[in-house]
Amino acid sequence: MAANANSLIRVTDLKKHYNKGAIKALDGVTVDINRGDVMVVIGPSGSGKSTFLRSLNLMEEPTDGSIVFGGVDITKKKVMNDEGKMVKLDIDLHRRKMGMVFQHFNLFPHMTILENMTLAPIQVKHVPKAEAEEKALALLDRVGLKDRANAYPIQLSGGQKQRVAIVRALAMEPEVMLFDEPTSALDPEMVGEVLDVMKELAHEGMTMVVVTHEMGFAREVGNRVLFMADGKLVEEGSPEEIFDHPQHHRLQDFLSKVL
Amino acid sequence: MFTAAGFAKTWEYVSLFKEGLICTVSMSFLTVVFGFVLALMLAIMRLSNFRPFRALGLTKDGRLRDGGPLLALSRFNPLDFLATAYVEILRSTPVMVQVFVIYYVVLGNVDLPNFKLFGMIRFDRFFPGVVALSMNSGAYLCEIIRAGIQSIDGGQSEAARSLGLSSTQTMRHIILPQAIRNILPPIANEFVVIIKESSVCWTIGVQEIMYAVSATKGATYRIAEPLVIATLLYFCLCFPTSKIIAYFERRMSRGSKR
Ligand SMILES: Nc1ncnc2c1ncn2[C@@H]1O[C@H](COP(=O)(O)OP(=O)(O)OP(=O)(O)O)[C@@H](O)[C@H]1O
Ligand SMILES: [Mg+2]
Repeated sequence: MAANANSLIRVTDLKKHYNKGAIKALDGVTVDINRGDVMVVIGPSGSGKSTFLRSLNLMEEPTDGSIVFGGVDITKKKVMNDEGKMVKLDIDLHRRKMGMVFQHFNLFPHMTILENMTLAPIQVKHVPKAEAEEKALALLDRVGLKDRANAYPIQLSGGQKQRVAIVRALAMEPEVMLFDEPTSALDPEMVGEVLDVMKELAHEGMTMVVVTHEMGFAREVGNRVLFMADGKLVEEGSPEEIFDHPQHHRLQDFLSKVL
Repeated sequence: MFTAAGFAKTWEYVSLFKEGLICTVSMSFLTVVFGFVLALMLAIMRLSNFRPFRALGLTKDGRLRDGGPLLALSRFNPLDFLATAYVEILRSTPVMVQVFVIYYVVLGNVDLPNFKLFGMIRFDRFFPGVVALSMNSGAYLCEIIRAGIQSIDGGQSEAARSLGLSSTQTMRHIILPQAIRNILPPIANEFVVIIKESSVCWTIGVQEIMYAVSATKGATYRIAEPLVIATLLYFCLCFPTSKIIAYFERRMSRGSKR
């Protein structure tokens, strides 16, 4: 396989088994994620989309296969350091470079919006508090929530919560953003405001992997679409190829149900 | 059953009941404090990720095994095992047995200092009582703390870890502050439970309320009247305390639903 200079994450033959292999949530997925990609992952329920996404930052520990991120195989417990010694892989170091947005927001309810956003920069990156707050306010301003900085999550609507969750991840200045059905838990009238933020992010060149059922978003914003079924990557292509000229019968079936 | 003369006689020994009240309250308070410290250590052991045989779960090329005894052994956590065994044993035996074991067996041959707390409570009886009750309530409080921590939605820790926080930072900044809300009311309730359970300690001669009852009975040959006083004392300790706890519990849950 030719090395691609633009590759950010290289996933090779990724497998995740449960119950001693009786359940193959991921059954050998190979894909290259390039810088600037907006990769949309679609597929029926139980096809392994979440498992794939959550494996990328090792929220799930893969059974087999490799994930090379920034030149390091993060599925290995031990890695070679700069001096050529084998040391324990510090997964936290890699996770902070991957932002993650969840279906159920997962804001910290005992902290204000501002505290939610500054916790990781202060604790993990040791950014001075004033600087972290200034940056957080600037990010909140971008999503129109600057005036809610001192509110608690419980005081926000679903759409507002998800916008906060997105900028909370951005506050760590990640190299890639992972979204797992970010709009599935929202009331329909709030889906648009979240998708708009994601669209803007895509236009700024952020690398994104998005699991979603929003086919409009996939077609309009995605530059690559992956279709998964039974833990396998069944078809991959541009939005036009996937939506207008689906090849595999599983994909044709799936599209006939959701479109 | 009750006679005015009986109450008059019992009243002559009222100082025993005062002592008993002070003894019961201080013993229960110390028990909650020591029990909580013990419980915290047990809960940390139970929730720890200490796996000395972790390496056995990996194949030669550093992959996780699919199954088998080596994978099971690699997941074995001796700290969790010890703490679990302790909790289950203490919760499955009567507190009376535990008090006897501590007093007659464990501390049976230990010469405890022979002074009197507050000038009246014999330390060599009081101390074993507190030890036994603390060990007992530590087991119950451990489960309260563990349940409080585990009741926090898994998404909370996932979100924290995905931001790059370590597991320790996640525990400290995300899990514990939220868990403490769930944990405090049952801990306060445990105080009420201990006030009542501590009555078994009269069997090893701790001068708490039931001891006052039996001492008065021996001196006056009256039982109903001393029991009335003891009942009133226990009720006046426990009932208001649980009402106050319930009040704060309601207030706290209102706070989180803001
Ligand atoms: N902890 C687990 N134990 C056993 N099986 C699991 C576990 N987690 C996931 N699975 C199984 O793995 C498969 C893939 O699940 P996954 O959540 O990745 O699917 P998905 O494509 O995200 O589905 P959905 O659209 O419903 O979110 C499913 O069959 C699921 O039941
Ligand atoms: Mg899913």
